[in-house]
Amino acid sequence: MEEKRIGVYVCWCGTNISKMVDVVGVAEEVGKLPNVVVSKNYKYMCSDPGQDLIIKDIKEHKLNRVVVSACSPRIHELTFRKALTNAGLNPYMFEMANIREQVSWVHTDREEATKKAKSLVLGAVARVAYHEALDKRTVEINPASLVIGGGISGLSAALEIADSDKKVYLLEKEAQLGGHTANIDLCFPHMIPARQILGPKIKRVENHPNIEVFKDAAIEEVFGYIGNFNADIMANGKSRNIEFGNIIVATGLKPFDPSSVDLHGYGKLPNVVTSVEFERMLQSGKIETKDGREPKNIAIIHCVGSRNNDYHEYCSRTCCMLGLKYANQLRTALPDSNIYEIYADMRSFGKGCEEMYAETARRKIMFLNFDQREGIPQITKAHPEDCCEMLIEMKERLSNTNIEVPADMVVLLVGMEAREDARDVAHQVGVSKCGNDFFIERHPKLDPVATTTDGVYIVGSCQGPKDITDSIAQARAAAARVLATITQGTVEVEVTTAVVNEDICCGCQTCVNVCPYTAISYDEEKSVSVVNEILCKGCGTCVSACPTGAIRARHFTDQQILSQIKGLMTTEMTEV
Amino acid sequence: MEFQPTIISFLCNWCSYTGADLAGTSRMKYAPNVRVIRVMCSGRVDPTFVLSAFQEGADGVLICGCHPGDCHYHEGNYKCLRRYHLLQKYLQQMGVHKDRLRLAWISASEGKQFADLADEMTATVTALGPCKIKEVMETLA
Repeated sequence: MEEKRIGVYVCWCGTNISKMVDVVGVAEEVGKLPNVVVSKNYKYMCSDPGQDLIIKDIKEHKLNRVVVSACSPRIHELTFRKALTNAGLNPYMFEMANIREQVSWVHTDREEATKKAKSLVLGAVARVAYHEALDKRTVEINPASLVIGGGISGLSAALEIADSDKKVYLLEKEAQLGGHTANIDLCFPHMIPARQILGPKIKRVENHPNIEVFKDAAIEEVFGYIGNFNADIMANGKSRNIEFGNIIVATGLKPFDPSSVDLHGYGKLPNVVTSVEFERMLQSGKIETKDGREPKNIAIIHCVGSRNNDYHEYCSRTCCMLGLKYANQLRTALPDSNIYEIYADMRSFGKGCEEMYAETARRKIMFLNFDQREGIPQITKAHPEDCCEMLIEMKERLSNTNIEVPADMVVLLVGMEAREDARDVAHQVGVSKCGNDFFIERHPKLDPVATTTDGVYIVGSCQGPKDITDSIAQARAAAARVLATITQGTVEVEVTTAVVNEDICCGCQTCVNVCPYTAISYDEEKSVSVVNEILCKGCGTCVSACPTGAIRARHFTDQQILSQIKGLMTTEMTEV
Repeated sequence: MEFQPTIISFLCNWCSYTGADLAGTSRMKYAPNVRVIRVMCSGRVDPTFVLSAFQEGADGVLICGCHPGDCHYHEGNYKCLRRYHLLQKYLQQMGVHKDRLRLAWISASEGKQFADLADEMTATVTALGPCKIKEVMETLA
């Protein structure tokens, strides 16, 4: 057996780790282990000089295994694997100990944190000793792509890819393309008609030689993996199977239903309308009450369903600007009306948006502030002598007074929520959801449109509330990612699959039954189970279920994990 | 000095490990007693891993997976749940208190829940005192 020569690198991450962990001490202690040839500490291991340090040591000290003790492997495992490759070492001869996210950032006692960090490094050293070289598998990329959702995000992504001469399948659930943007009159802050943005896009998509549009469509099942997906779909009552290499999910949002907010009286008071309904009114050019009168007093209520723990904790990010847009449109259409913006906090953060807020404030709009924590405005039917149809009772925060606001029409700025079918979509394409059912990106800053499933991207409001500007930016970003993989033609995929040792396999087929991907079949002739490595996604469920220990999970072998446990529990520095 | 338990924790890569990372990025503070081992899926947690952890001297074992219905691999967490119940029976027959082994669902967005869980588990195991199974086994051997 080859001699194990391990290099250990403990990162300071500036002060992020070094403030709470004695990085110098940890490196020194671990350096005493028999298999550890070098043990160093350095300010930023992920920096170029940090990586060069590893590469130099691998060559100089003939290291054959490396441990980096730094941030989460979810952030820099690939970075360091690449460094190993550059030094001529197999990238799987590497292990990371997470002493930032899971130590220095979460603990307050330096001594305890250092003790834990040391233990995690010992676990990693013990594990890496049993790592085996694995060869990356390369798969071809099918140049066609699937875009799910024909709203502004899906349309933008589809066009970007199709304009690069690549095939796109665009799936839309409804009979029409356009999504929620089709129901919008003008776009803030430039007041451009939404149909000017949307119309040409729809037309181009429908006539594009590289785009095949399926309307009234639904996905039944998605199979495969990056580069080689296929799906059974139903469109216009007909079923079809399509093949593609990448997926862009652009399934959009659902407007919050304010019926559950009793105090606003939606559904009971006829002239309380949602922003969605008010847009329709604006599109038709007629702003009038249910009985056809021109409203004299119009109130716009913000944060309906948003930033309120009874409904959704998050901010829907577009409603404040919608409210300002309505105030402007109303002021122009009804110059003599009284317009009230009833807001919790004004969030006009986009480019040109704060300017629009300032401009709106000069147009005789009454801004009234309320505190969500002290209750939301209550809308009731007014008495005949009140000269208005409704009264809004609220505590005005800035003047600290209880007031009544007259209204003939109330517009509720309803927030955005995840669609009800988000769970089905998540299952079909293999993306995760956060607590609010919006899809989760691979990394909020470093990888905002990718997901944890290779070849699957998320854009627009299915990822979180977003305006048109941001949705289009994300859509084109995802399209660029897809085009990059298509241009490369091939992609390396994980090889951490399961493998059966035919000599030990007793043919009981327990594994065949537990595999969620039907990746294991039974070879009648040899009386053993066989893993299809293309279908296997490496969850390891079969490995734990195998009664004879015949299945190994590559890179997550029993030996590696048991050794890591031993390492974590080590107290004597000579043991590992 | 007060007894400081060591808890070995198996976290699935997709939900729980990400949740634990989120507790870190959000700078939530919790007890330093939990030592994490990353597995791809809670379905990979072989009963022998748990037994081995106790054998090596762990005072508690915490297994976390995706919430039911949210497993990255569809149903690995259900497989884990089934094994957990059997394992609990077995451990109790060996004299290991049931609260020393815990299975919990932590999603990628539940950093707070992970931090709370680590604190709770630490408090529970601290109250139970050191797990003697290692010494017992050494004596038997």
